[in-house]
Amino acid sequence: MKFVPERLEVAAGDRITWTNRDFVPHSVSAKAAGLESGDLAEGKSWSYVAKKPGEIAYICRLHPVMRGLLIVK
Amino acid sequence: MNWKLLLPIVLVAPALAFAQSKGPSDPQIAGIVVTANQIDIDAGKLAKPRSQNKEVKDFAQQMITDHSAVNKQAGALAKKLGITPADSDTTKSLKQGAADNVAKLRALKGAQFDKAYVDHEVAYHQAVLDAIDKVLVPSAQNPELKGLIVKVRPAIATHLEHAKHLQATVGKK
Repeated sequence: MKFVPERLEVAAGDRITWTNRDFVPHSVSAKAAGLESGDLAEGKSWSYVAKKPGEIAYICRLHPVMRGLLIVK
Repeated sequence: MNWKLLLPIVLVAPALAFAQSKGPSDPQIAGIVVTANQIDIDAGKLAKPRSQNKEVKDFAQQMITDHSAVNKQAGALAKKLGITPADSDTTKSLKQGAADNVAKLRALKGAQFDKAYVDHEVAYHQAVLDAIDKVLVPSAQNPELKGLIVKVRPAIATHLEHAKHLQATVGKK
């Protein structure tokens, strides 16, 4: 029920993969930045390539109190 | 005074007190888990079509999805361990509370409905968290059953936080 780590620093061009290790579905969503993994069932993964430097605050669309921060350098 | 008669009574009394204060058995714990989840699934199924508020509808759907996932796991584990979920005073009281809540919610509409549903979800998840910490985890004997309850706890805590967030906005729109 949380993103681990909640704060992640990467370099532009890196590919980040989120894997749902929980038993309920989750998503990686940041409307403004155009991130949307769709619903990820237990064990499913989704990847995103960070292109531009900047900060992306994302949530789980299904559990909006779950928050994460991706920092692209 | 006849000491021969008095002595066994004195010895038996503490044993009875212990039996009464003992927590629920594993089958009773399984029954409480399944019942508590089903109640919130049912409340979600009532709220989703009835609410006009998208955030409340989404929350209700989430309760249906997540608590169904918990019950699927609980059902599979109970089957694996050969535990048959049993009724107890707790399950009876949960069912009565749920029936009262549904009756109350059915009489309400619009923002009043949303507020009552969300208020109840906050109180319910808080009560479930308290029960997990004070009764279910300390009483569970089987390590896998205890493990399932520990694993489910973060979801209940997240639901509580989500419901409290909703509570701050519903009724004001």
